[in-house]
Amino acid sequence: MQYMLLIYEPENAYVGQEGQAKLMDIVGKHMKLSADMRDAGVMQAGAGLQPGATATTIKTTAAGQTLHDGPFAETREMLGGFYMIEAPDLDGALAWARRIPVLPGGMVEVRPVAQY
Amino acid sequence: MAIGAAIMAARPRVVSALAARLRDLDAAEEAFAEATAAAVLVWQAQAPRDPAAWLWRTAWNRALDARRRAGVRQRLILDEVAPMPTPEDDLIAADQPIPDERLRLIFVCCHPAIATDTRAALTLKVVCGLSIDRLARAFLMSEAAMLQRLTRAKRKIRDAGVPFEVPGPAAWPERLEAVLATLEIAYAQAYEDAALIAEGAPFAAEVLRLSGILADLIPGEGEVLGLAALVRFAEARRPARLGPSGVMVPLPEQDMSLWRGDLIGEGAGLLDSAAGLGGTGPRRLLAAIHGAHLSRRETGVTPWQDILHLYDALALFRPDAETAVNRAVAVGEVDGPAAGLMALDAVAGVGRLLNWLPYQAARAGLCHRAGLTQDAAGAYSAALALNPARAEALDLEGQLAQLT
Repeated sequence: MQYMLLIYEPENAYVGQEGQAKLMDIVGKHMKLSADMRDAGVMQAGAGLQPGATATTIKTTAAGQTLHDGPFAETREMLGGFYMIEAPDLDGALAWARRIPVLPGGMVEVRPVAQY
Repeated sequence: MAIGAAIMAARPRVVSALAARLRDLDAAEEAFAEATAAAVLVWQAQAPRDPAAWLWRTAWNRALDARRRAGVRQRLILDEVAPMPTPEDDLIAADQPIPDERLRLIFVCCHPAIATDTRAALTLKVVCGLSIDRLARAFLMSEAAMLQRLTRAKRKIRDAGVPFEVPGPAAWPERLEAVLATLEIAYAQAYEDAALIAEGAPFAAEVLRLSGILADLIPGEGEVLGLAALVRFAEARRPARLGPSGVMVPLPEQDMSLWRGDLIGEGAGLLDSAAGLGGTGPRRLLAAIHGAHLSRRETGVTPWQDILHLYDALALFRPDAETAVNRAVAVGEVDGPAAGLMALDAVAGVGRLLNWLPYQAARAGLCHRAGLTQDAAGAYSAALALNPARAEALDLEGQLAQLT
């Protein structure tokens, strides 16, 4: 099965000089993890996203489409990146997801990809 | 054996085997229900020699039919597909053994990816076949809400790819703990419902059975044996828990001749086996506490000093209010009610406990024994204001009446 691993983190965690140092550390861990995923042949896609402030949201209503500055929901935690992996089952996907580096307050959501 | 009883006895094995092969709890339950309906018709003419094998083959064929009807292409490797078994088939000994997949199914229903409060209901529904209305009553929710919760859980298990496997050694501590915690919750539902003692009995019987299955399948884990012992010791006292007029009878006052010796023996055997494995854990300690209370049957006295030591040990594993309040009651028995009240006052976060029934009931009992009539009356009233079940309310009212 394919699983999407969605990474949510408080964006302000990476602000300032100390935050930048943390970011470098986390990025290094991501590179190691994605190398391991590729070696295991499970990685299908993965990327980090630029901050929520760079997002543009298209809203569709009965009246048509409108553009909005910012992400669709103003929450403290933002979607910061994702992996798409192939795993035999949920336990397999969870084992990889547990290895995703996040700062305290971070969350990883594991969602099976729909098969049509 | 009556048809209904034979079906209930076969259910855990058959549904587990179906679910493991189909990887779909709903489909497994449906196929079993269809086989059950067929059994009621066919068995009246001629009962099969092995009801479980008959149900397994019939349900499996029905499940395959359903799959074909739905046009779902499955990668299942099929045994030769037999036509609907006739009663004559069953005169031949069942040569197709039912694979024992109960453990796998229990682990699926208790997967940490399922909400904690749903796991217990799901396990009792899928493995034991408890009805939605009985589960709804036990878990204090509407049938519609219970049905929705179970449906959502079964769908998640299927769609999110929860594996139908017993987890590997690395995941064992977390996963087995989830299974044991689930059974404890399930049993608490059956036990604490004091007003419905008669109604809770078959419900508790399922937990009794399930914990026994687990102890059979995982005999090398002390906590598994401890849980099975705990449930047996607690169930042994069920016949003595209600007095005439439906009043709850506190443990130290129960009529010991009503306690069930068979269950006490089973529990003691399990606890002995657990002791042979070394180490201890919260469920073994709880079972030992129950066992200590039951030893009154042989010695005529409750060994409160032992019970206090066991609560001290339990507090290391479960430093929670429930353990602390029960420990304070034991202190009250060993060192007198004044010491018990001091221990109760020392329970962390007493403020939060004021609206907790066991706390007020314990406080009332200790004040009562200490001769603090005013305080006791206040605590009994506070306990009664917290809507205890009818049996417990009758007991509290009786105690309160004795004060004046």
